[in-house]
Amino acid sequence: MNPRISHAVRETQRTLERWGVLVAFIILFVVSTAKQGFDFFNPENFRSLLNSNAPVGILAVGMTLVIISAGIDLSVGSMVVLAAAIGMTAMNALIEHGTSELNAVLLGGAITILAGTAAGAFNGVLIVFGRIAPFIATLGGLAAFRSMSLAIADAGEIRSQSATMFSALGRGGIPLPGLENSAGKPLTLSISTVIFFVVAAIAQWFLSRSRFGRQLVAVGANEMAARYAGISVSWVRLRVYTVMGLLAGIAALAQSSRMNSVSTAQLGLGSELDAIAAVVIGGTSLRGGFGRVWGTVVGVLILGMITNILTISGVSPYWQGAVKGAVIVLAVLVQRSSRE
Amino acid sequence: MVALPHFDESSQRPSIEPDSAKADSAEALLEAHAVTVDYPGVRALDAVSITFRGGEIHAVVGENGAGKSTMMNVLSGVVRPTLGRLTMKGIPTEFTRPSDAIRAGIAMVHQELHLIETLNVAENVMLGREPTRFFGFAVDRASQRTRAGQLLRMLGSDLNLSTTASELSIAQAQFVEIAKCLASDAQVLIFDEPTAVLGECDSDRLFTVMRRLRDEGRCIVFISHHLDEVIAVADRISVLRDGRLVQSFQREADGVIRGKDGIAADEGTLAHAMVGRELESIYPAKGSASGARAAIELVDFGARRKSHGISLSVAPGEILGIAGLVGSGRTETAEAIVGLRQRDGVVRIDGCEVQFATVRAAKQAGVAYVSEDRKGRGLHTTLSSLCNMTLPSLDACTKLGGLLIDSKSERKISQHWINAFQIRCARPMQPISSLSGGNQQKFALARWLETKPKVLIIDEPTRGVDVGARGEIYRIIAKLASDGLACIVISSELPELIGIAHRVVVMRLGTIAGEVPRDRLALADCQERIVRIASGLPEENEHRQ
Repeated sequence: MNPRISHAVRETQRTLERWGVLVAFIILFVVSTAKQGFDFFNPENFRSLLNSNAPVGILAVGMTLVIISAGIDLSVGSMVVLAAAIGMTAMNALIEHGTSELNAVLLGGAITILAGTAAGAFNGVLIVFGRIAPFIATLGGLAAFRSMSLAIADAGEIRSQSATMFSALGRGGIPLPGLENSAGKPLTLSISTVIFFVVAAIAQWFLSRSRFGRQLVAVGANEMAARYAGISVSWVRLRVYTVMGLLAGIAALAQSSRMNSVSTAQLGLGSELDAIAAVVIGGTSLRGGFGRVWGTVVGVLILGMITNILTISGVSPYWQGAVKGAVIVLAVLVQRSSRE
Repeated sequence: MVALPHFDESSQRPSIEPDSAKADSAEALLEAHAVTVDYPGVRALDAVSITFRGGEIHAVVGENGAGKSTMMNVLSGVVRPTLGRLTMKGIPTEFTRPSDAIRAGIAMVHQELHLIETLNVAENVMLGREPTRFFGFAVDRASQRTRAGQLLRMLGSDLNLSTTASELSIAQAQFVEIAKCLASDAQVLIFDEPTAVLGECDSDRLFTVMRRLRDEGRCIVFISHHLDEVIAVADRISVLRDGRLVQSFQREADGVIRGKDGIAADEGTLAHAMVGRELESIYPAKGSASGARAAIELVDFGARRKSHGISLSVAPGEILGIAGLVGSGRTETAEAIVGLRQRDGVVRIDGCEVQFATVRAAKQAGVAYVSEDRKGRGLHTTLSSLCNMTLPSLDACTKLGGLLIDSKSERKISQHWINAFQIRCARPMQPISSLSGGNQQKFALARWLETKPKVLIIDEPTRGVDVGARGEIYRIIAKLASDGLACIVISSELPELIGIAHRVVVMRLGTIAGEVPRDRLALADCQERIVRIASGLPEENEHRQ
């Protein structure tokens, strides 16, 4: 091949690898808004997309960090339901015992987040001290955490006893200045969306600027070399799984407050796959040692938009998984090329 | 293909043409004709023509970056030449992928071995060409073993065919790798720095095998940084510099290697051809140890199950060499000192007894270990050179109570060492894998010096490092010692140990078998003495006594 052409091909590949996820996002965004009536500049599309995907997004941010450390967490969906079930049970108990609604909501929320963190730390302990491969340890969590939450509610739904405050947390939001929805009310960005962005920004910042982020990359790129450089690999891994649990707790709070109930059979079901898919689409290497949170954020939005387009186009929900699967494989194919 | 302007250019340099004019009895197996390889921004090979004949050991030497690897990649079908062509037995061939080259009878014995660890020796040797039964449905295990056994015996190896590959030593694994090439009936075998991971004895066995394969009419292409080995085994030597073939040498009928001018060549001649200038002695003058109290002292120390009963001490300013065969427990002992392995016995730093549980603890007490395995353990090859530089000293360049990395001081540290060690590195964010072996090794040293150690343990300081950079690394070590650092240098290269160490301790079977003090290092029989101690022979040669 002509060297100039092969050079150009390589450069294109490199550019595609780096920015492909953004290109895909823009294409999908155009298609998606076109399907809804060529209303490209309607921010409502964007807002609803964000609001419905924020909980998975929060999980995906944590998953990015876990995958950069060359690990995986399959238990995130089950951690969400367990944290939400424990948190809401506690909140209801507090309300029944006559605690004021505000205190009960605050305490219940805190317990939700704490429960998630504890579950994550438990995963970390199994992986680090039990020396169990992350895939296996968290596969255990996937089954066990879900089963525990089913047992708490007899596989049923836990309804919130908080009359208004808890659901206000889920439904409330920050009004966007100057924007109105079709009904003429101010357009709001839900609290979970805001949390999603804040969490993503902090994670990206930590990844590129903090000592922990650097150590995470070093451990993921080559655990042995990290050990020889004097990094405490155990401590790094323990922390990343705990952070994952913390984020699962936050996602649990976002979900349960939006529904104002916890369906122990349904909540978080399969979200580990959505989170991993978003990370992979975003360009993070499943082998560890390289990753970017902003890519994951775009990956979450891409997955959300695909579902959106397919639903609007009337594609049967049974087929939607196939399309998503194809997109994930395609993303890996495009991004693999020059890093090999 | 475009017409080649380089072709004319190259014909104007008669000295670099293959010696085709001279009638040669040996058959030309594989020929490269004016091969040029362009990478973006770099011409890696520039109109190189080399003829590889059957029945010869053909060494290709050059500094890192001279184009050796690119040449080998072209021969083995990994890289396609931009210009020029290959012929195999006179027939033009084009390899689009490595399997084409293998089918044509060219096999590469890689530096990193590619055995399947869970399979046994026989299965590995016959991998991909298993004899079958039942119309190809089942592997014929009996004839697989027979054939593998034949091939290994051809190499003079008596390996047990049922041994699992993961239990093989590096030298044994290499034999299996060579047998694998023979199974594919390779006519041209390319050995890419085969001795880099071998001790002296194993290297000699390998050379015997190489000579045997040559005598069967095969062509052995041999790449090595060790010029003494090249002089000893090669029949023909091609020297590459900056992507060009600059000189070639040939072993004459009298057994002496001569250049075109008929003058006998030695290591100095080769080194001169490689770097294009005279090399002064690459070993710096030895300073004197300050002789104060020991910076590090080991008492009855050992890495559990690997070494035992080691007592030694190193003073500030002293360079202690540790010699020994591969597998004598040198690396394991060093790893045990810095907390990478379980240990027995006592370590004292500046007279205080210490027990390091982690590298981090050792680092804080001022003990640093630079691993022999630069790619796997010493550096993070996928990360930038900047990341690599500051990884061990990351705690020291943080702000906000250790939370955030202070990127300004990180860059300053990196730039400081790049200047101090004259590291050739375009930009700090460049992946470290794109640097040459010598520059990588300087990074590996610098990152630990940044932790301000009192004791520095360097394992194989010049493995995979070219001649020019070697001298620089020796000078760096000597300078560090003269600044008061206690250095322990572990090496399998005796000239190197003798050249830089104040005294040499020889390890054998996991413990210290002998010591050569400073005054005896200057003696001519010193190298032989070390080899004798390391292989368990009496220290003095009988007929000399």
